[in-house]
Amino acid sequence: MINKILSILYKDFKIEMSQSHLFFSVALYVVSSIYIVYISFQPVGILNSEHWVSIFWIIILFSSISSVSKSFFQESSNRNYYYYYVLSPDELIFSKLIYNFIFILFVSFLTFAVFTFFLGNYIISLPFFFSLLFIGALSISNCLTLIAAVAHQVKNNSSLISILSFPVIIPIFLLLIKLSKVSSTEFSWILVQDDIYLLILLNIILVSLTKFLFGFLWRN
Amino acid sequence: MKIVKTLCVLLLLYTASAGVLFDVPRLPILNETIRVLYFHVPIWFTMIFLLFLSSINAYRFISTGDLSYDLKSYNYSNIGVFFGVLGIISGMIWAKYTWGTYWTNDPKLNGSAIGLLIYFSYFVLRNSIEDESKKGKISSVYNILAFSMLIPLIFILPRLTDSLHPGNGGNPGFNVYDLNSQLRIVFYPAVIGFILLGVWIADLRLRVLKLKNKL
Repeated sequence: MINKILSILYKDFKIEMSQSHLFFSVALYVVSSIYIVYISFQPVGILNSEHWVSIFWIIILFSSISSVSKSFFQESSNRNYYYYYVLSPDELIFSKLIYNFIFILFVSFLTFAVFTFFLGNYIISLPFFFSLLFIGALSISNCLTLIAAVAHQVKNNSSLISILSFPVIIPIFLLLIKLSKVSSTEFSWILVQDDIYLLILLNIILVSLTKFLFGFLWRN
Repeated sequence: MKIVKTLCVLLLLYTASAGVLFDVPRLPILNETIRVLYFHVPIWFTMIFLLFLSSINAYRFISTGDLSYDLKSYNYSNIGVFFGVLGIISGMIWAKYTWGTYWTNDPKLNGSAIGLLIYFSYFVLRNSIEDESKKGKISSVYNILAFSMLIPLIFILPRLTDSLHPGNGGNPGFNVYDLNSQLRIVFYPAVIGFILLGVWIADLRLRVLKLKNKL
């Protein structure tokens, strides 16, 4: 199973490398949306950490939705038939989960770099914030992968994935924003432990649902 | 079935009359508006119960492929959302008289609003697919996802922060002040009555939907 997952991942990244415009389009999306934020906050810039954190995560949300939606759509229907015979649904969905996780992690670190370059840095406890980016990428990919699979089944689905994913992702998002606000002050474990546990709980629910429900979707 | 319906009518008549006439504890700020407890809270319980039935039927559909379960699941979620809207409206009117505003940034309000948004996008998803069995399969998957995200939204997230609701964050709640259970003797029958009403409405509408499908 692990071998198959790794080989699909290898194939996905190879496609990503050969069609590098896909990655660059997401990168350009991130940079231009941050630049819009930068221009619209002129001449004073963002003045407090709460605005900084909220806008930061909103940009990550939008760019990750646009990047996840293509991870399913880049597959041609012929290849899907091929997968149907060689793979079990679990192998396919776990490879997609890992692929999306790595991609979103990359996007969020890129966002952080560009964001601090243009809008300054309000984060004081950086190690905590980086681990938060890590957990955030994990949760967003867990949440969006199943929804992308659902939206993939529907024709004319370009706007559907955002309609379906926004309300579902809001609880995760609220937790991430709340936790990030802590990282703009001195970090202490007591302030964040409840929210971290809840985030882990949500991730467990989402992963088990994804594994359980994708089998039914895949049988179409 | 007839006994259940009679019970439902009797319980709701009891709720409506006793809820307005019986003595209630005098609490600051709440005053007489405490009576909304008999209507607002049971409506939310009914919504959760109906949405639970909806997700159970969604699961039965994807495991058996029987389209009647899909119709049931759609119907229960529809009535559940209707009760959710009623819950929000009754809460908003109550909030105007106690908090002074129709809508505030309260975790319970946010949770229920987001929960309803999830179900609205479920309806959008259903309407965007033509093929019946495909529609059932995809929307059932989303229905189960929606219900399992609703539980943390409504039950877990609001408990982590202070809410303006009575009983949260130091606000007086009925289980703290209500020593001789004045409220309970109306509240528990009201919950049962409203749940029965919800199931009854869903049953009637299911019959209408089935007849429409036949025609």
